[in-house]
Amino acid sequence: MATHADALHDHHYHAPGLQHQFEDMGQQQESASIGMWMFLVQEIMFFGGMFTVYLVFRSKYPMAFAAGSNHLDAFWGGLNTLVLIVSSLTMALAVRYAQLGKRNLQVIFIILTMIFGTVFLGVKAIEYTKKYKEGIVPVAGLNMRTAKTASTHPGGRELSTRTGDTQDPRESLNTGVSESNTHETGEHSYYNPTGTFVWTDASLAAQAQQGGYLTDSEKIGYFSNGELNANKFRDKVRIFFWIYFVMTGLHALHMIIGLGVMAWLLWKAWMGTFSAAYYSPVEMSGLYWHFVDIVWIFLFPLLYLLGRHFLHGGAGH
Amino acid sequence: MAERIKTATESESHHHEEHHIVPLIYYFGVFGVLVVGTILTYYAALVDLDWIFPGANTLLALLIAFFKMGCVVLIFMHVWWSSRLIWLTAIAGFFWLAIMFAFTMQDYLTRGAGVFTG
Amino acid sequence: MQNVDAINVGNIKEEPRVNYLTNGFTLKSWLLTKDHKRIAILYLVTVSAFFALGGAYASLIRLELLTPASDLLQSQTYNKVFTHHGIIMVFFFLIPSIPAILGNFLIPIMIGAKDLAFPRINLLSWYFYMAGGALTLYALLRGGVDTGWTFYTPYSTTFSNGYVMAVGLGIFINGFSSILTGLNFIVTVHTMRAPGMTWFRLPLFVWSHYATSLVMILGTPVIAITILLMALERLARIGIFDPAIGGDPILFQHLFWFYSHPAVYIMILPGFGVISELISNFSRKKIFGYEFIAFSSIAIAVFGFLVWGHHMFVSGQSIYAGLVFSFLTMVVAIPSAIKVFNWAATLYKGQISYDTPMLYALFFIGLFLIGGLTGLFLGAMGLVVHLTDTYFVVAHFHYVMVGGQVLAYLGGLHYWWSKITGKMYSEFWSKIAAIIVFVGFNLTFFPQFILGYLGMPRRYASYPDEFQVLNIFSTAGASILAIGLILPLIYLTYSIFFGAKAPANPWMLPGLEWRTASPPPTENFEETPIVTWEAYEFGEESGLDLEDARNRNKVLV
Ligand code: HEM
Ligand SMILES: [Cu+2]
Repeated sequence: MATHADALHDHHYHAPGLQHQFEDMGQQQESASIGMWMFLVQEIMFFGGMFTVYLVFRSKYPMAFAAGSNHLDAFWGGLNTLVLIVSSLTMALAVRYAQLGKRNLQVIFIILTMIFGTVFLGVKAIEYTKKYKEGIVPVAGLNMRTAKTASTHPGGRELSTRTGDTQDPRESLNTGVSESNTHETGEHSYYNPTGTFVWTDASLAAQAQQGGYLTDSEKIGYFSNGELNANKFRDKVRIFFWIYFVMTGLHALHMIIGLGVMAWLLWKAWMGTFSAAYYSPVEMSGLYWHFVDIVWIFLFPLLYLLGRHFLHGGAGH
Repeated sequence: MAERIKTATESESHHHEEHHIVPLIYYFGVFGVLVVGTILTYYAALVDLDWIFPGANTLLALLIAFFKMGCVVLIFMHVWWSSRLIWLTAIAGFFWLAIMFAFTMQDYLTRGAGVFTG
Repeated sequence: MQNVDAINVGNIKEEPRVNYLTNGFTLKSWLLTKDHKRIAILYLVTVSAFFALGGAYASLIRLELLTPASDLLQSQTYNKVFTHHGIIMVFFFLIPSIPAILGNFLIPIMIGAKDLAFPRINLLSWYFYMAGGALTLYALLRGGVDTGWTFYTPYSTTFSNGYVMAVGLGIFINGFSSILTGLNFIVTVHTMRAPGMTWFRLPLFVWSHYATSLVMILGTPVIAITILLMALERLARIGIFDPAIGGDPILFQHLFWFYSHPAVYIMILPGFGVISELISNFSRKKIFGYEFIAFSSIAIAVFGFLVWGHHMFVSGQSIYAGLVFSFLTMVVAIPSAIKVFNWAATLYKGQISYDTPMLYALFFIGLFLIGGLTGLFLGAMGLVVHLTDTYFVVAHFHYVMVGGQVLAYLGGLHYWWSKITGKMYSEFWSKIAAIIVFVGFNLTFFPQFILGYLGMPRRYASYPDEFQVLNIFSTAGASILAIGLILPLIYLTYSIFFGAKAPANPWMLPGLEWRTASPPPTENFEETPIVTWEAYEFGEESGLDLEDARNRNKVLV
């Protein structure tokens, strides 16, 4: 018996990529995949905490969430969703060609995945910058500076043109033009010197009040002495943007880590490490990448699209 | 003992060993579903469905999202071809998330403040 | 099967060529080791250091409470001292204690594997623990925090005046250590079992660690995100936890306890595992109701996630939610009770020997019983209004955490000491110490039940004069307890250098860990074992003639 076990052992010992604590590749592969799934469960719960926060506040202040959401750019958000979906496809293909042991296709698809991942982050950067310039990054002390061009366009004009040329007064409200903004004429390029969160549009709350579909928390949360209070509403919108930044920020962080993993994978694949017998690093990284994609599948409707229907008609109550 | 050294692992990994190579058509099929799902999500959000019941828009968006997730998990992540343990793990993750949601909300929803009350 | 022969021949086993301890002596061979046994030793050293530090803080607390006035410590300082005590004991001692030390050492051996599934990740866990610990220590030295170990908002946000961010970050990093350890254990139990080691042949120690690992994986990430949110809240001052602008401090408590109630099971389930081992082995009897004990661990891990609101009865949580949580709290006590009944049934008509580990196990049962039952008091929604935030709560959780887990840890450490170090400790001194711990513990914490019932609130540096007598008892008890805890430090350390050499199987027990040398070789077994016996098998089916060997052993020793 002993000799047989030894023979087996020796036979498998030289398999490339087999670590010493395992008996054979099957066992190693199995361990890696269970381990990765356990890790993903951990990730689900990590993001889950954030989704719980989202759920609680959204159920309390649906109108503030709708208002904030309508201000996000669904075009960029949708585009990014598509970009991420493509990257998921290329990742899945990279895994497939790793399984088939085709080095070149594997390398190509890893590179493609990285490209799409980078595009995603690029779009996020554009969106973040825009929010920053509009003064709706919900971090006290941030939002201080305008863009460099601001000094040549003092006042709020620059901002109201930024979101398009609509003359709809609501639209200009949506961009969050603040009073302080008009004070800052002249060479000072500060749009928002206190760095506070800028938001004045409370129209959705008014609409909900008329329609009679405010929640109990909203009745307390948006009103003082029975009057709609724009500042109190702003605070709730700020909570939305806070959640938006934390959730998308954590997601982006996962993308960045994912890109790091991809870079390592690319190098390994380039060196021809993976074969039909040993490809589990590719597969595991794929699982991670798809997971990050799934998170976005939920973030997109929950953050970008939740109040659109209030803008069109919205009289159904 | 002559057969295999790892009986314990074997019993769990039955069909996992053969490493299913998924036909390309599945991947492109899922891709198609995801793209269509995304577009659908977008346009569905523009239509006001509150006349059905308050929050119907969100429910629809979530249903689509769950469907998309299902496709990714089953095909892209190969769960369809994986062992029962992996199925269980994937389901357990969402089950626990549901626990967190449900037990937190049972507090908030019974404090006197309703969700989307109309 | 040479192990069998070795034991039956009379227990004089040949020295293995190299064991895991003699396999390398350089610092590097320790700090970069991937051997689960060496990593367990790394944990043993560092976790013990944190235990000592936490103990020092505890002494300060008890000294301050000797007199009614706040004289030794100002209230400000006192707040920090109990906070530091709690943080260190919970996050840096109790949570890693049994899993990271004993679990790490024993799980691969008990299932007949060469190592954990991911040895490198195992080492990484230790570095996360060290990094988190170092950061926390740094923050504590710089001034620390005074929020209580629970970090409730707004103490930790609006009114925070300490190093909340740094300590939070420390705990955040440390959390990954916990998550990765849990992940490693789960995968290991699934894929690394030796041939013939079926699920229902696993020692209950392994089952309970499996359950613990589930909690670690499912719960710990939530505390991570909670702490992150708290830190960001401090940074950005958005007020998602600030009711003044629409935030909600109770949300913090929900998120915190979603982890931290299950975390109390991280702090007791491993103890259950150790006790199951001890009770069965020192009664020399197959454990009663193996499946019940195994599944009750899993049940605890699952139901433990449904009761967190019992920490929030008076927080402003809705009455309805309170009722649900209260009911489920009663339900979750059932699996714990099942274990206690099964242990009692195992003892019945067993051949009990009162070795030191068994003493700890018996103490454990008594103390955990008190701790668990008082937990039920606290879970009763009406009663808790009177008892919450009093010393009754403090006594409750010390009965389960110290009377439970710490005693189990000490019992386990003694039980496997010979395996870990290859040396025998002094039976005399260890028994003395165990008894001192038991007496000191009860003297410290039993008066606190009465104090709490009479209305002494927790977390204050001063108290009304009429509480002084009981507080003096408590402080006196703490001094005794301290002696009981310092003693093992001395005689265990002594044994490493001067103790008698341990045989492979000093107690003549059937478990796999006793079928390899003490200390085990780096690969754990000379060859992969093949398991043909059930767990806790004392009959002939175990493949060992234990009785015969035991008798001969008696003659020898
Ligand atoms: C038998 C089952 C148990 C029940 C029914 C139970 C019940 C409770 C309840 C209702 C409270 C809240 C008291 C209050 O704040 O008013 C509590 C507090 C506590 N319990 Fe338990 N418990 C049990 C077991 C445990 C175990 C096994 C541990 C740890 C090993 C533990 C550790 C704690 C801690 C640390 C607190 C106080 C937390 C704080 O406020 O700082 N409990 N327990
Ligand atoms: Cu609890």
